[in-house]
Amino acid sequence: MTGTAPTAATPGTGTGSTGPVLLEARNVTQRFRLPNAGEFEALRDVSLAVREREVVALVGPSGCGKSTFLRILAGLAAPVSGSVLYRGHPVEGVLTSAAMVFQSFALLPWLTVEDNVAMGLTAGRDLKASDRTAVTRAIDLVGLSGFEQAYPRELSGGMKQRVGFARALAVEPEILFMDEPFGALDALTAENLRAQVTELWQDPQTGVSTLIVVTHSVDEAVFLAGRVVVFGTNPGHIREILDVPLPYPRDPRAPAFQAMVDRLHAILTATLLPEAERPAAPGVPTRLVGFPRVHVPEVLGLLDHLAGREQESGSVFDIAEQLAVDYDRMTSVVRAAEQLGWVVTPGEQVRLTPAGRTLVAADTADRKPIVRSRVAEHPLFARVVMMLSEAEGGALDDDEVLADLTIMLPFSKASMVYRTVIEWGRYVGLLDHSTRDKRLVLVQPEAPETAEAGGA
Amino acid sequence: MDSSDLLGGARRRPVSAADLVVLCLICAAIGAVVAFAREFEAPYTQAIQIDLSPAALPRYTLYSLSRGVIALAISFLFALVYGWAAASSATGERFLLPVLDILQSIPVLGFLPGLVLGLVALFPSRNAGLELAAILMIFTAQAWNLAFSFYNSLKSVPEPLREATRIAGWGSWQIFRGLEVPSAMPGLVWNGMLSMAGGWFFLMVNEAFQLGDRDFRLPGIGSYMSVAVEHGDRRAMILALVAMTAMIVSVDRLFWRPVVVWAQRFRLDDSAGEAPATSWLLEFFRRSRLRVRTHAVRHSAVRTAKRATQPLRRSLRSANRILRRVPRPRPGRALLIKIGSGIGVLLLLAGGAWGIWHLATLLAQLSLPAWGRLAEAAGLTFVRVILAVALSTAWALPAGVLIGKSPRASQFFQPFIQIVASFPAPMIFPIVVIGLAFLGVGLSVGSIVLMILSSQWYVLFNVISAVAALPPQLAEAADVFKLTGWRRWKSLYLPAAFPALVTGWITAAGGAWNASIVSEYIEVGGGVRTTLGLGSLISEATAKANFPLLAGGITVMSIIVVGWNRLVWRRLATQAQTRFGVTQ
Repeated sequence: MTGTAPTAATPGTGTGSTGPVLLEARNVTQRFRLPNAGEFEALRDVSLAVREREVVALVGPSGCGKSTFLRILAGLAAPVSGSVLYRGHPVEGVLTSAAMVFQSFALLPWLTVEDNVAMGLTAGRDLKASDRTAVTRAIDLVGLSGFEQAYPRELSGGMKQRVGFARALAVEPEILFMDEPFGALDALTAENLRAQVTELWQDPQTGVSTLIVVTHSVDEAVFLAGRVVVFGTNPGHIREILDVPLPYPRDPRAPAFQAMVDRLHAILTATLLPEAERPAAPGVPTRLVGFPRVHVPEVLGLLDHLAGREQESGSVFDIAEQLAVDYDRMTSVVRAAEQLGWVVTPGEQVRLTPAGRTLVAADTADRKPIVRSRVAEHPLFARVVMMLSEAEGGALDDDEVLADLTIMLPFSKASMVYRTVIEWGRYVGLLDHSTRDKRLVLVQPEAPETAEAGGA
Repeated sequence: MDSSDLLGGARRRPVSAADLVVLCLICAAIGAVVAFAREFEAPYTQAIQIDLSPAALPRYTLYSLSRGVIALAISFLFALVYGWAAASSATGERFLLPVLDILQSIPVLGFLPGLVLGLVALFPSRNAGLELAAILMIFTAQAWNLAFSFYNSLKSVPEPLREATRIAGWGSWQIFRGLEVPSAMPGLVWNGMLSMAGGWFFLMVNEAFQLGDRDFRLPGIGSYMSVAVEHGDRRAMILALVAMTAMIVSVDRLFWRPVVVWAQRFRLDDSAGEAPATSWLLEFFRRSRLRVRTHAVRHSAVRTAKRATQPLRRSLRSANRILRRVPRPRPGRALLIKIGSGIGVLLLLAGGAWGIWHLATLLAQLSLPAWGRLAEAAGLTFVRVILAVALSTAWALPAGVLIGKSPRASQFFQPFIQIVASFPAPMIFPIVVIGLAFLGVGLSVGSIVLMILSSQWYVLFNVISAVAALPPQLAEAADVFKLTGWRRWKSLYLPAAFPALVTGWITAAGGAWNASIVSEYIEVGGGVRTTLGLGSLISEATAKANFPLLAGGITVMSIIVVGWNRLVWRRLATQAQTRFGVTQ
């Protein structure tokens, strides 16, 4: 229970535990080959040491490689460069002293609860005598006794995840990996299971020494972890490490807990809405900024919501909660609105700008031209429009546009960015796309100045 | 039969270098088999007598059924090995998938003479060789779609499930047995039903055929029918058809229905909404106490053993924990795999070169006029195949939409159509030919009718399932916006059915090409009716033991079918899916 010891170390260097290092990642870099040639760098130079009796949470925006990192730690995937050490020895293949709990439960539907729990003990063979007690014990631990002969299909989501935990606990794992274990559950069930996880970790009977959990939820990270590792994107890297020196069991309503949540919010906001990403003034050449993969109605919805709020502003977290939107998704929407100049984000706050106010006040018919002028100025769209206007007939094959996007935005998946560009371009009547011909077409505008460029 | 390969494998170029290599290898295989047959000329043996009395029919039916079942078992084994090999390595995928695609579209019946001669020569006991040849021929009609189905299932096993088994310490054999095969089971069972039906198609030819002056015959329902046709025994013909129908219906009811219900438990999607298919036979088996009892006995035995080893358990357990923590080293497996695959590729190339040389020497014996005749025949059969597909579509598309859009109609018709479709059309060819001759229609046009008989079901089935799967909201939307009559068909049913229609066309055309071999050359009442076409050339070459012509015919047909698949069907399928796919 060293995790309860309050160690007041500075973020980034501190540890929640003082035990020996159990699992260590050294300069891990991971890249994936993309279908349209080119590579996607998911992680760059990530190093992290996890000690015995520690609970570590990995948080960050989607696409920051935290799940990839979890799989590399577990030995399910091998990094392109760098290494993972278990008690000082390099890990080859799957880590044998570990178990994992999955967001999608990953239960075999044709096996009973009992047989699913026994998966790690039997390695697919028939149950041995000694295994049966371990299975029964694990099923008891998660409170599933009586369900041994049930099939996963017959269980609710929460019950399924209990089976997932029982399966992991049955092998008495030293390290328990959890990939968004409560992500697919409703709020009530998730809360109930979350409380049980800390109990299980503290219970010496389970044999679990260390928990490593990937999560989307700030509250969950603070509730569970002794250390919270915040990942940044483009490419995935560790931004900051926050110690959570609160005693277990933790009370989410306690002021100390809330203070910790606020601190983590602040770190995440700095990661998700970095001040440097604001687009430079029009005309100034700058590094090309990617456009978040959000839909038009989402951004307009955010603006409408802000206009109805007091002082036309609010905290990103509050808004996300109020609108029942994923925090991660909400920050993407806010980033898009910010890039188009409709909101500003001082700290965690989001505030409507005068330009945003004008847009909200306009009726549906007038909105399009307003959005259009803003989108056309955005460096990414401006670049695509320029490419098209230089091309013969104002049209380009998908392959060419994708190749260019891959070069311009090396850390984003070009096909996803392209889909967003098409959606926004179509909405504002700037671009059109033919699925049949696989071509992007510049819509000839009525405005004279761009018409000249189109004829060139 | 499965066209998902055509969709899934659609790449930018219709013909790649790998395809050409594969095509060469196939040609080589044709040459090899034909050449093999020539060198091993078996001594002439008297064909066995087929008893046309009704009392003998049940026995013959069982003979044929067991051939089909054995072939299906071999097909399953083949599918597991082949599908796994294709799915587990990128190189395997690049070569094995095109091979499969070609194998399922070429007329395998052309291999029969070579196979029979070779196997008869190989086995001193005549029947063993013949039986093996017949089973292998049925196998060639069953195996390919099963292999595709298994490959597709392997590729679509959800990644978390794989990770869960890996982190649970399962080895690749356990993953195969405990995850990959179970998750493929629903697809394998469904394709097994199709394969079984497809396997009967050439039953008559497989069990009784002539090669040169020799008469090869096996006891079975197919040979019973052939002899009945030969003797013009109408009563025996009808009895054979009844027996065949009875066999198909009982296999469907007693075997497939229970198996389909059993396979439901292997579905990966968790949707509990769909009512599971029920089978009275499985219910019967489920209610019997026998299974439960054996289970209980096994468990009590385990418990006794457990008690006996109690003292050892603790020490074993702690030892096990230490052992399991040590990372397992994996020595030079990659190198072994590399050497192994290198040897494999070399063997393949050597075999290919040998086969191509043999095929080339065979084809070189064909004179220029013979090639001209082949080209003319190919053109004629091509036109017949296209006409057969077009005419099948003309009735099956509207009928399929009508049946598919009404749940009650599809529930009523589906089992009936399934049985009719499983019936091997060639068995009624002789009767149809006599009927057509009575009407004054010759085989040149008549063979189109025969092709339709064997290919129409593919179109009908695919259209029915596509229209039946249409989201009900779309039909409701059409109601709300008062789309009726032709406008409703044009804007709702026909576009929705189009991707499935293309799939139907692909399989229907394949079926028609295969059928050309038995529909352009038919023995009725002791005489032979024939019309010029690629199919009749192949049949004629078989009957006259003209091996160069046989090799030429099969080669030409393979090239046409595979080329058409690549250049036309595949493009159409991709287009249909991207433009009209409802799921996207």
